[in-house]
Amino acid sequence: MSDFLQYLVAGLAVGCGFALLASGLVAVHRVTHVVNFAQGMFAVVAGLTAGSLLSAGLPHGAAELLAVLVAGAVGLLVGLIATGKPGTSAQSALIVTLGVGFVAYAVEIMIWGDNPRSHPGLRGSVQIADAYVQKQSFLVIGVTAVVFTLLGLFFTRTYLGKAFTACASNPYAARAVGIDVTRMGLIAFALGGMLGGAAGVLLTPLLPISYNSDVLLITSGFAAAILGGLTRPGLALVGALILGVAESMVAGYLDASYQTVVALLLMLAIMIWQASQRTSLTEEAAR
Amino acid sequence: MNESVLVLLLLSAIVVTGLSMLMGYAGQVSLGQASFTMIGAYTAALIATHGRPTWLGLLAAPFVATAAAALIGIPLLRLRGHRLAFATLAVQLVLLSVVGQQAWTGGDIGLQGIPLLNIGGYEFSGDRPYIYLALAALLLVVLITRNVVASRPGRGLRALATSEVAAESSGVPVATYKLVVFSLSAGFAGLAGGIYAFYIGYVSPGSFPVLLSFEYVVMVVVGGAGTIWGALAGATAITLLLQWLNDLGTREGMPASAPAVLSYAVYGVLLILVVLFLPRGLVPSATSWWARHVRWPRRRTSEPADTPSTAPKEMHYEPN
Amino acid sequence: MNVIEAEDLVVRYGTATALDRVGLRVAAGELVALIGPNGAGKSSLVNTVLGIVRPESGRVAVHGRAALVPEGRQLFGDLTVDDNLALGAWRRRRDSKARDTGKVYEVLPGLVRLRKRRAGSLSGGEQQMVAFGRALMADPDVVVVDELSLGLAPLVTADLAAQLRTLNAERGMAVLLIEQNARLALDLCSRGYVLEAGRIRAEGTAAELTASAEVADAYLGAVL
Repeated sequence: MSDFLQYLVAGLAVGCGFALLASGLVAVHRVTHVVNFAQGMFAVVAGLTAGSLLSAGLPHGAAELLAVLVAGAVGLLVGLIATGKPGTSAQSALIVTLGVGFVAYAVEIMIWGDNPRSHPGLRGSVQIADAYVQKQSFLVIGVTAVVFTLLGLFFTRTYLGKAFTACASNPYAARAVGIDVTRMGLIAFALGGMLGGAAGVLLTPLLPISYNSDVLLITSGFAAAILGGLTRPGLALVGALILGVAESMVAGYLDASYQTVVALLLMLAIMIWQASQRTSLTEEAAR
Repeated sequence: MNESVLVLLLLSAIVVTGLSMLMGYAGQVSLGQASFTMIGAYTAALIATHGRPTWLGLLAAPFVATAAAALIGIPLLRLRGHRLAFATLAVQLVLLSVVGQQAWTGGDIGLQGIPLLNIGGYEFSGDRPYIYLALAALLLVVLITRNVVASRPGRGLRALATSEVAAESSGVPVATYKLVVFSLSAGFAGLAGGIYAFYIGYVSPGSFPVLLSFEYVVMVVVGGAGTIWGALAGATAITLLLQWLNDLGTREGMPASAPAVLSYAVYGVLLILVVLFLPRGLVPSATSWWARHVRWPRRRTSEPADTPSTAPKEMHYEPN
Repeated sequence: MNVIEAEDLVVRYGTATALDRVGLRVAAGELVALIGPNGAGKSSLVNTVLGIVRPESGRVAVHGRAALVPEGRQLFGDLTVDDNLALGAWRRRRDSKARDTGKVYEVLPGLVRLRKRRAGSLSGGEQQMVAFGRALMADPDVVVVDELSLGLAPLVTADLAAQLRTLNAERGMAVLLIEQNARLALDLCSRGYVLEAGRIRAEGTAAELTASAEVADAYLGAVL
């Protein structure tokens, strides 16, 4: 029982990190229809930046916040490159973000080298029943809850947030009322950068990262986001938590080396199931 | 040029010819093409290290890869666009992880001591025989691709790249064609993997990283998807560029990380520039430029209609 | 004074020419009809006037604010009616009072009971009303209505046309009405243009156009 609780909280924490990544993917995809392959890179950049800032003597909180802002700026830059040129198709933009990821590798290796790095988060653990749970896990869960609440309020309550939904819902009409859809896409990229960055600074104390951690991070984020068809952040959150807990349980009860395999197979199963649903729907519509 | 670079170049060209057909004609991006190189390489290695004839290993490599692709292609190819891209990437990550943990595949260490390839008593040793072998394989692959593209189904494929819906409504069996191209491109990768296994002498999960799959995509995009010459040019250009950057990075006075930094940076910048400014790739862009400015200097010709672009039409989201 | 002035507009998509040296003007407070068959380039003209499509050559000027009631309504289906209306004021977003949807409900009281509904769940006539209201939120000097009657029941169309006439009379708001139903358009408007294959074929007062044999033949059908 105590093992179970421990695995559950650890899984939820990792799942929350995936959820932040996934919500960044969703934010960008809703407005621009681009799947941003560089989403995992934002987490890597922020995680490594936070580590450097901490060792430069910046206090906790300030270092993490600054790192998230850096990731936001990187996000804006990625958006400019991937969608700045008019007429770039969504698939071309995906390949461009892949290219940006390579450039990021070069910069990251130059600055931080190619070994995995970590930085200290909240130290110590809490005892619940007879389980010991890392405090950092609770921090990740708490921050994610706050971020998702703020995001929800932003998208449903604010004028700018509604304009985002408008761009996703009907880009032509958005242009007709004067919304600059391209600029909104860039804001979405910056937001995606900050969300990925938040995932990075929160997860790095739990799982050391190196420049090429982005592939597993983006795949996990995509796996979570695809449950909501890359457009629904709520379902992405659910997907991310399932993914995190499933990975943690597999690692705990079976074998740690199979945890990513289980996550990836889950993603494949979801996508194939969705495709079969869609086919039968379109067949019905055609009748 | 270094002879071992030439072997690797030719092997890349074999894989890229298939991937280029998949991207250019079936309009689908595979981010996990190295899975099939790996399956081919392990097939050859397993057969050869279990005392079976090495030629059987080489022969089996493309067939096992084709069969594997056909099997996973049935569910996978119901996906398209970014979903298929991530699905193929996931397949490779699963494969890497599983192969890295099995005793019979040698785990993370892989399979060592693969005997030299022996066909009819002739033993392939050193670089030179493998250059000829890879060249022959490339020739075979190019011939098959040319025939497939020129055949009646091939013309259906061409319709597929422009619009899947239009192709389907005009009676092209879209799903079957996609599966055939996917399996065939996997078979090419498997063949390259088989030759690689005998040439290098060992295989391990580390020889087939996700980055290798990305590298194949870069080669296709840079050369120009859907054209054989584009595939060859892309593979050549990227291999030579990487080789040159590696030489540059390992010169005296350069930091230890210089080769990696240089190659990633140039790679990324090149990929971005080509996708944004030469979206059809180097070879199609160059040939249509040639046609416009050199061959018929006075007459303005429109773009050749038979070179499909990398991006399927339905993925465009700009309504105007 | 003109609220819309377009001269020599040329719009091409690839090799297809959508507009070929088209000129058009709408004076302040005027009701102008633009009629023509499908594919004549009417929507291209609308998109160019609204700045959604950039012309290859020619000049287009809007003096004051223009708002669009797009073809097929084009609402934000995932948002509520009230949010749809509020976003109509996007061009005036710095003015926080501009986002107040109250004044639209006064003009279109039929929308009040729908304010919390998802726009995507409404009927065609209701959606057209919301699209109308959303355009009004921009406090426009001219409203461009792209296909008022398309897909709507005749009674609903007549009701909307009456609303347009009232708005024009009471607020001096100019209207550019794009219609396939030429009879409706020429009844409502004082002046009109006929667009065919990307060119202006005829222009004049509604009376002149109605009297013209060609227009009557092609667009008004047999007059009983």
